[in-house]
Amino acid sequence: MSTDTTDVPITGKLQVGVTSGKRRTLSQTEHRGKWWRLVIILIITGVVLAPIIAVFVLSLQPSLGSTATGWTLENFSLVFSQTNVGTWLKNSLGVTLVTVVVAVAVAAPAGYVLSRGRSRAVSGYSLILFIVQSLPVVTAVIPLFILFAQIGLVDNLAGVTIIYVGSTMSVAVWMMAAYFDSIPITLEEAAWMDGTSVFGSFTRIVLRNSLPGILSTAIFSFLLAWNDYLVAVVFLRSDDNYTLQIGLQTFFQQNQTNWGLVMAVAVVMMAPPIILFSVLNKYFSVGGIGGSLAGR
Amino acid sequence: MSTESVAGALKKARRGVGVAGPGRSPGARPAKKRKNSHARVLLLFALPSLILLVLLNLYPVIYAGLQSLRNGDLISAGDFVGFSNYINVVQTPEFWHSAWFTLVFTVTGVFGSWAVGLGLALFLRTRIPANGLFKVLLLLPWVVPVVVSATSWNWLVATPQSPLPILFDALGFGNVLFLADPVLAQVTVCVFKVWVSFPFMMMMMSSALASVDINVYEASKVDGASSWQTFTQITLPIISRSTYISWILMTIFCVNDFPTIFLLTGGGPVNATRSLVVLAYSTVFQNFQTGPGVAIAFIMTLVLVVIATMLYRQIRKVNIE
Amino acid sequence: MTSQSTGAAFTRRSFIGVAGGAAATALLAACSTGGGGGGGDTMKFWNMPWGGTEFNPLDKKITLAYEPKSGLPSAKYQAIQWANFTQTFSSAVASNTGPAVSSGGGTQAFQFANQGKIAYADDLLDSWKKDGIYDDFLPGLIDAMKTDEGYAAVPYNLDVRISWYNKSLMEQAGVESPKSWDEYMNVCAALKKIGVYGFGLGSGAGSFTGSHILAAFMINNGGGLFNADKKPDCVTPENIQAMEFILEIVKAGYSDPAAATYTSANVESQWKAKKFGFGWDGAGLPAGAVGDVAGDLVVGDPLTGPSGTKGGLYFPNNIMMYKNTPSQKGSEAFLTYYYKNMAPLWTKNTGIGLPPLKSIADTSEFKADVNKVKILADWQPILKTWAAPGGSGLFYNIANTVDGTAPMLDFTQSILGGKVDAKGALTKLQTSIEGLMK
Repeated sequence: MSTDTTDVPITGKLQVGVTSGKRRTLSQTEHRGKWWRLVIILIITGVVLAPIIAVFVLSLQPSLGSTATGWTLENFSLVFSQTNVGTWLKNSLGVTLVTVVVAVAVAAPAGYVLSRGRSRAVSGYSLILFIVQSLPVVTAVIPLFILFAQIGLVDNLAGVTIIYVGSTMSVAVWMMAAYFDSIPITLEEAAWMDGTSVFGSFTRIVLRNSLPGILSTAIFSFLLAWNDYLVAVVFLRSDDNYTLQIGLQTFFQQNQTNWGLVMAVAVVMMAPPIILFSVLNKYFSVGGIGGSLAGR
Repeated sequence: MSTESVAGALKKARRGVGVAGPGRSPGARPAKKRKNSHARVLLLFALPSLILLVLLNLYPVIYAGLQSLRNGDLISAGDFVGFSNYINVVQTPEFWHSAWFTLVFTVTGVFGSWAVGLGLALFLRTRIPANGLFKVLLLLPWVVPVVVSATSWNWLVATPQSPLPILFDALGFGNVLFLADPVLAQVTVCVFKVWVSFPFMMMMMSSALASVDINVYEASKVDGASSWQTFTQITLPIISRSTYISWILMTIFCVNDFPTIFLLTGGGPVNATRSLVVLAYSTVFQNFQTGPGVAIAFIMTLVLVVIATMLYRQIRKVNIE
Repeated sequence: MTSQSTGAAFTRRSFIGVAGGAAATALLAACSTGGGGGGGDTMKFWNMPWGGTEFNPLDKKITLAYEPKSGLPSAKYQAIQWANFTQTFSSAVASNTGPAVSSGGGTQAFQFANQGKIAYADDLLDSWKKDGIYDDFLPGLIDAMKTDEGYAAVPYNLDVRISWYNKSLMEQAGVESPKSWDEYMNVCAALKKIGVYGFGLGSGAGSFTGSHILAAFMINNGGGLFNADKKPDCVTPENIQAMEFILEIVKAGYSDPAAATYTSANVESQWKAKKFGFGWDGAGLPAGAVGDVAGDLVVGDPLTGPSGTKGGLYFPNNIMMYKNTPSQKGSEAFLTYYYKNMAPLWTKNTGIGLPPLKSIADTSEFKADVNKVKILADWQPILKTWAAPGGSGLFYNIANTVDGTAPMLDFTQSILGGKVDAKGALTKLQTSIEGLMK
């Protein structure tokens, strides 16, 4: 892989590399500094995470009209036994995973065009992606709803999935293109000489070497689909089709809001992205977006 | 579109910085026949994304654009009124107030999150036990759904009995009204935005910094440069391209950010935190004036594209250098 | 129904084919449940979450128990969330995927009537004159539904803006429920001495109560926002006097300085924290997250203004019928059934507001709630709609000019901020409303 600037993902390895270079000169004062820095970063992390910690704490408080005292998991058991939260979780996961798969499948070849192509048509395409990304979603919701209503995609998880794929498109294509930029074209050219088709070289050489790029794009699409509220609130109607974001709103009643339950659902909602990030963090490189944006 | 152009791309030397790495030779020139087939394949590669763009982005934009030239509402089309919606909205003081706040919000959002993100990225490069863990933890504000974090922030600051006002009172600042005082509400919303966005910047800057060769620092240390000098003269120039890119993206994210503001303050008090997107939203969905609402959104997008293109040029300049 | 879902499946499949994600097709198909809306032999009824968590399940049960006469459609139930509900209804109606019968925002029927989407309820009300339902409505309610073209809807759940007080705190401050503006001012002063606010309300994100209360004080003083020609008429002596009264309250520190940005949850937490001793809210306040304070909350008395007038604001929420229905006869038959069978929504403590029918208000279960009985006895007769003082019937322009609109919120937040003068703020409101009516 190239040593090119921004396209290198934040990898644990690189960090180790950087620090191990320093180890040789590590003195006692630096050693003490290490623990000071730990204290500082602990404080910063604590302050930054306070609002998120608050959600966890509130979710463990007894809910409205409950007899429990102190810490309790009652909100979670209530949420799972008395509401549709299981279905919503399933819907959210389904919609998000399909979005991720389709977004990568569409963005990868398009990113390849953006990466390897260099012509007026390709720059025009890049510019369209750029302007599309600049438009607020608010203006698009109603026209899309009317269009989708005609083809039966309203109150339908497939409908919102298609919209999510559409809204990830610009950034996903950029991210894929950025990653492909870091793969030397010589490999493909050699393959073409051997008679491999463009499609063949794309799947066998380029894609095979692009796992970090694909994962970055996948995580980005995941977050976008998982966190959407505006599209889902207009498009989804029936309780069985809600995603978690919309399901959460059912706890906000005309006269009362049960905060314990809201926070419990919020925790359920936070869990998948947090888990995903903890596991895949080292592959995720938003820096990649820029490579291609700036490249042309 | 000429097939020549796409195919020609394949043989052209790659100029972009991101692609200027080693291992990229000018390469052998494919036969002309192959070039044409390549072009066709590339077109096919881009086709699905093009269809999605047209259907899901271009169509709504055109539809909304037509709405902005009419005086209808969400349901009835109304009469054609030309550009009068555009002329009318720019004559209202509310528009300019919102434009001003959008500017404030965007500038603090972009530079605030960049400064915090870069600071933390630099800090996390130093030797800290378990710094991988902190890197993940510090990403959470960006990962957590805004619906959740806005609710939680409201709980932390809204009433005098909320934790933060109690803390400030104990520290002797008196009764601080984080959301009720217009100026403080603006500050709170901006801080909230920085909180939501800094992890994104941290990631971008981390990945940019990861490419900086540690030996460069060693060398400058030998030359007796102060750490500030090292930062401004070595680090910043190296990460300048990523910085410009992050600014562009964050500018787009800030200007278009609806939920952060709407969920925390709803635009109040007395329109203090009503950015252009929120103004567009309330014009369409609360006042049922589709035309003027879309007009606001379009003017906003136009300015955004102009500003972003200017920054974009800046990157190209950096690239060429 | 069948053809519709086939169509959707086809579109979906071809779409994915283009997208080239073969693996995704299976997932997508597994993930999409059913096609579009009702259609065919069913008729959609959409209702809002008017009460607590028990409300919609019970309401659904009542709806699904409806057995239509042969040839008429059966009913399909859908609960619609409060979040962004105007978007939900507007987009559905615009695309003809909306309900046949629904509740919704209090002024929604008039907005849709203006756009020609509403089936007027005149025939239905005529038939109700025969079977007694018509005479069962509380006085004045049906009049509020009347437009020049016909009755846009039928009254349903009443939402009122009234005063509440915490009796323990009032006792502690040594005051009793005020009956006039002067007495109210004294109550506020006494409450302030024990560190409690006397003008408790909120006007923050998603909360329109504050603007309702300011309008209520104008109506209390014989004023209001619209004249008999349904034109805005904000800068009147009555309104100026009322807003000066509120400004006096704000400036004296009787109102929570952060009230302008309180959400309804913030307001509830202030009652819970015993920071609000007297305040203004809906009928459901004790059912909210007010904790142990709920038992101490008592409905106040209507205040008499300086010129001897009483009054306040209420919202006759309503159920409307749409032109887009499988059968207009079916919509009417369903509503007749629904009104004859909806009493449990009020008698089973679902947290809904006040009933529109005398027969429900007379049930022993309803009468067990002294606060609600007091609201119907003392407040309901004097409350008026947004159309006051000019008239009682709601109309289209209310929806887009004052009911939860940006200018009305700005006006409220500026008054609650205490840094404006009454006449100036009202003049600005007048200009904004005129601008929106164009």
